[in-house]
Amino acid sequence: MRLAGSICATLATAILASLAPPGAHVSIDPNAIGKTPTISWTTFNGDYSGQRYSTLTQIAPSNLNRLGQQWIFRITEVGAQRGAPVPIIKCTPLLVDGVLYITIPDHVWAIDARTGSQLWRYDWVDHGGHLVGQRGVGIWKTTVFFLTPDNWLIALDANTGHELWRKNYADARKQYFSTAAPLVIRNHVIVGVGGDAMDMPGFLDSFDPETGDLQWTWWSTPRKGDPALKTWPNEAASDHGGGMTWMPGTYDPELNLLYWPTGNTNPVFAGQGRPGANLWTESIVALDPDTGKLNWYFQVSPHDTHDFDNTTAPILFDRVVDGKPRKLVAQAARNGFFVTLDRVNGKYLVVKPYVPLDYSSGLSPQGEPIPIPDKDPSVGGSINIVNATNWQAPAYSRKTGLVYVNSVEGKAIYYLTDDSAQPSGYGGTGTGIGHLNRVLQAIDPLTGNAVWRHVYPNLDDAPTTVGPSILTTASNLLVTGDDQKNLIIYSADRGEILWNRELAANESGGIISYILAGRQYILFGAGGTLYAFTLQDKNQ
Amino acid sequence: MKYLILFALLAGISATATGALCQEAPTGDQNPAQQPKPYQKMTAEERAASTRAFLGLGAVPDKAAAALGAPLFNANCAVCHGRQARGAMGPSLITSDEVLGDDHGEKLVLYLKDGRPGKGMPSFAAMPDEQLKEIAEFLHLQVEDIANRGAYHVLNILVGNAAKGQGYVEAHCMSCHTTQTFAHIGSRFRSSEQLQKGWIWPPRTGEDSLAITATVKMPTGSTITGHVTQVSDFRITVVDQAGQTYVIERGPGVEVQINDPLAAHQKWIMTLTSEDMHNVTAYLETLK
Repeated sequence: MRLAGSICATLATAILASLAPPGAHVSIDPNAIGKTPTISWTTFNGDYSGQRYSTLTQIAPSNLNRLGQQWIFRITEVGAQRGAPVPIIKCTPLLVDGVLYITIPDHVWAIDARTGSQLWRYDWVDHGGHLVGQRGVGIWKTTVFFLTPDNWLIALDANTGHELWRKNYADARKQYFSTAAPLVIRNHVIVGVGGDAMDMPGFLDSFDPETGDLQWTWWSTPRKGDPALKTWPNEAASDHGGGMTWMPGTYDPELNLLYWPTGNTNPVFAGQGRPGANLWTESIVALDPDTGKLNWYFQVSPHDTHDFDNTTAPILFDRVVDGKPRKLVAQAARNGFFVTLDRVNGKYLVVKPYVPLDYSSGLSPQGEPIPIPDKDPSVGGSINIVNATNWQAPAYSRKTGLVYVNSVEGKAIYYLTDDSAQPSGYGGTGTGIGHLNRVLQAIDPLTGNAVWRHVYPNLDDAPTTVGPSILTTASNLLVTGDDQKNLIIYSADRGEILWNRELAANESGGIISYILAGRQYILFGAGGTLYAFTLQDKNQ
Repeated sequence: MKYLILFALLAGISATATGALCQEAPTGDQNPAQQPKPYQKMTAEERAASTRAFLGLGAVPDKAAAALGAPLFNANCAVCHGRQARGAMGPSLITSDEVLGDDHGEKLVLYLKDGRPGKGMPSFAAMPDEQLKEIAEFLHLQVEDIANRGAYHVLNILVGNAAKGQGYVEAHCMSCHTTQTFAHIGSRFRSSEQLQKGWIWPPRTGEDSLAITATVKMPTGSTITGHVTQVSDFRITVVDQAGQTYVIERGPGVEVQINDPLAAHQKWIMTLTSEDMHNVTAYLETLK
């Protein structure tokens, strides 16, 4: 009897455990955030490096014929949003303790990773802001952090979706808006901001994850008394100089440096009112995450006048160069240059065009591309390149040592629509001419040269924002897609197409991979649907 | 091969420059039934309204009131703040908290009545509320003109030298085209800007001679030739002369040869200079 009772009790416990809400135990040790993703995906880029490289090998070239859909989660309860007729998942999902977190503007879902069923949903009613996209949440212990279009940092209970606290950090009436995923580093929730319609300065804020108290602010343009003001005509121009911080940065725990890409300068296309390099817009900046103090910067587009919005991920990796181990950071910048820097001090190794361009007359002694003034937008129109890439994630493979980026080659006519001495806002506009070619490139970060290229056949011009995102794996897979609804897997070393599957929409956010109950998954959003792919049994 | 009627049907339907190049278009699942009216096909007012909604720009300025406010602003405020309120002796108002925090004068009117005597701004309490409200709307319209890039207009883009443009056309274009190509081209577009874009990269819509064609060789050895309506790495859709549509999976043994009548333009766009572009546009504009 005693024995039987004991067995009954054990069984009852097991049944209770399986019936309990599967999300009721989500908790992550802050020291585990940003570690190599295997059974979880804890930051926007999976870890802090920005590599988007999965060490998992279960899904491999030899078994892709068995790769199939395990479940989908379709957003059906949110209709048209302001300026967005249908929901589009532009986030990179996070995964902790078997619970996936996805977002669109104003909404967060927690989803059971085993089944794809909803655990909870959080809805926000915004008062302004631009609903162009939402890149995902951050997580710390049992708290999920979410940014709203009108610039509220919301802390949610990861297990219930209940709001814990909220904090407003920017004024939507000044056209600041938020799409970013917060980046959590130890006891810092680091929040970037967007919005370049009204000539406001960009900034980064760091908040206490427990209380929401502001820890520090770093401004993208220099304040009174800063020597960098000499790169602006005056303090007012700097105070209205842009440099938004809307894409998450990367982080080196050993150096304790945060690498953040800063966006375009304001006024956007009309640069005549702001002669100078316009620091620290259009840069990669290295900051101390505990104080927000600038350690070094590298300006990728000095005096930008083409909305080159330098927001692609600075990818961190270590390599041996000329016999010496080096800590490097590389970026396929939207201005068409591929940049590799020493991430200890910001000194450059490689600065080289990766798309055809002719707007630069050379490099400064620091390696910064020097723009040719004649290529600035003009009243009669000026021909220059379109953005060579955009926010969708690039990737690095530790197996091949290559950086992968979906790029666009092509030209546009840039018009100056405000030729006054005091331009404001965008002050200009652009219109594409010719075919805009989408090209997947595998670039050697030590030379800047493409090792292989895949030109996507297409009748239509490449869309103005370039996707999909990219994931690489240790089994030599490169997962991405075209703009004709195909998810595509290439061999990372040679660029051969190994597998493809047509979806209901283009892959539209970040692609992640993880092991759950012994099976490797590839998970991503495409339009309003989240897809979970894994190896299917042969007899299915 | 000559493309004699390259420009014959160009009705100036290409998109006007609207700042859409670098911003994201609000598109989702690629279901045409769910797509809103294409941005290019909107009227100027629709484009401005669409961009306003997309950006979440808030209250719409009252243009009629703003027009009444313009002379009041010029007479009372412009000497310190500039005619467009972008700053002179006094600060710019278009990025000020007071202006951006107001919708239709509900806060600004009170502010203007008080003035800021400590900082040299007089009180405008003597002005009627209605006029202060008109000044507020004028300020909101200045903000709108800056923040709503869907409402931007290009300036007079005819900055080139027509004689040099003629020389360029004679030297670079006549190996493929004839003078017939360019006859009356200046009257075929709604604007100089559309002419400039249209002669460089003519829209293919409704122009069969510009359609991309393909010859697809099937594994059986048969070939299909026609207009391409879709192509990816995995599939090509071709409509032949009889109007028959073929959806072909690009499997083993399928060979695709694509011909683009605009390939020469594509190549040349990559090296075209802005000065040559301006000159040719100035010349073609004279061919009414």
